[in-house]
Formats: sequence, structure tokens, C-alpha cells
Amino acid sequence: MDNYLQLARAAAEAALATEGVYSLGTGRYVEAATYGPGEKVTGVVVGPDEVRVHIVVSYPPPEPIPALAERVRERAALRSGGRAMTVVVEDLEVVRDENL
Amino acid sequence: MRIFNRIVVILLLAGLVYLGIATVVYIFEMGPYELEDLSNALGFGGLYEGLNGYVGNIESGNIDALDVIVLSAITLLGLVLFILELKPPTPRRVRMQRGTYITRRAVEREVSPLVEQEPEVLQSNVKVKAQRRPGAKVQVGASIRPGEDARSVQSEVQSRVQQQMAETGVPVSDLRVRANESDPRQTKTRVK
Repeated sequence: MDNYLQLARAAAEAALATEGVYSLGTGRYVEAATYGPGEKVTGVVVGPDEVRVHIVVSYPPPEPIPALAERVRERAALRSGGRAMTVVVEDLEVVRDENL
Repeated sequence: MRIFNRIVVILLLAGLVYLGIATVVYIFEMGPYELEDLSNALGFGGLYEGLNGYVGNIESGNIDALDVIVLSAITLLGLVLFILELKPPTPRRVRMQRGTYITRRAVEREVSPLVEQEPEVLQSNVKVKAQRRPGAKVQVGASIRPGEDARSVQSEVQSRVQQQMAETGVPVSDLRVRANESDPRQTKTRVK
């Protein structure tokens, strides 16, 4: 279970470090999270065969959304411990232009 | 189909529980009951007789046109339900590429403001369906004032959504736009 949490944390960090990712998603009907003793990592679901990362994309995105999702997938896959990696764009968040 | 199946299974299980309790009560003779009376107590006695007679009539070829229609309808319904059951379920999320998905809600939130940017559109209603192949099926309902040129609004909205979706890269495989004349008093926006 500790391993699951470590994987989840690593995948979350990788996703959040990607430009264009506003935050991690929380799931809509069911919470998207990995649970451990006294701790949970929201936004990443680690299973025996798959790691699923839920992201919220900044709007406007710096690049087309499929390309951004693919970049997140590639980055997070490096830390997925050989499991299949899935990225779900859960929502878009309009971000104010700081130059305005 | 999932909801329909769940309702059928719930009814079936409730029936089985009822039947199980009744059987236990009758087996252990809790009260003045005999197991052979169970079918009558559950009201199956008349049903058995009716069913026996009905099947007997069918076997002897003694059925009227209404029976043929009812039996054909039941067969057809069974066939349709069977085919629907065999169909793989529609995915919940829109597939973009291998291993990357976008939720239907995110696509809706992307499309809806684009439609409402059109000056003639008072209100939009966007429905997004995920498909087994990559790309979303998007149905856009645009409410316009009576007397507006619905065709031009439709084509404007269509090209605007297509262009923006191409820019953001959200795959839309099927886009349908319908402009409906609506009373401005009943729409989200009255004046633009």
C-alpha cells in the first residue's frame, strides 16, 4: 500500500510540474484518489495494473489539449512503475493573464 | 441498459427473497401451513392453470390473431434487449489519443461559451456523448428569437465551434447544431 502511495505522489508531482496543468482533478461521482493509512493522494488512482491521473487544464491551454495530456502521460509514465498510464482531462480552469 | 438491468435484477431478487421466506415458513410448518399449499398461497394456482391452458392451446394450434401478435411482440422485445445487452457500453469519457481522455463535462464547458458568443443566441444547450472511437459526439441546441435566420446562426455556430475545437485540439467527430426559436422571456438571456 505504501508503494501505491509513493507511486501516486510521484505521478501527482509529475503531472503538476507540467506546464498547462492547473491542478489535479478530484473526480465527479467517485473521488479519484489513492488511499493509504492515514493519508490519501487526491487526483491519482493507482491500481494493480493501471495508474490514472485526473488533471484540470489551465484555459487557454499552452498547447492543444490532446498534446498536453500526452505530455503529462509521458512524464507520469516514467514514475508509474511499469503500469499502464491513463490521463483524464477532467475540467478546464480559466486562468487570468498576469500581464493584464 | 444498465439501469434497466438493475431494475430487473432488483425485482427478481426481491421476488426470490419473498419466495425464500415463504418456503422457509412452509417447510418448517410455522403455523398451520403445508408446503403443498404454497403455490396457492402465493397466488400461483390460477396462474398455473391459465398457463397450462394457454400452452395447450398453442400446441394444438388453437390461437387467435391477438395471441400471435402478443407472442411476436414478446419475441421481438427479447431480441432487441438481447442485442442491446450484447452491445458494449458507451464509454463515459471522450477518448483523445491512446491513454488520454477528456470528460464530457469539460467538453461541454468548452463548447457552451462558444455558442453563446454568437450575438443571436440567447441560450445554449450542449449535450456531449463519448464514443467508442476517438472524438465526441456533440449536439448543440441554440435558442434564438423568433424571426431570426436559423440557418445562418446554425452555420455560424458550427464553424465557430469547429474552429475553436480544432485550436484547442478537443476531438469532435460529430457536431450537430440546431437553432430553435424560443420566447426570450423563457431564455437565460433576453437581450444581447
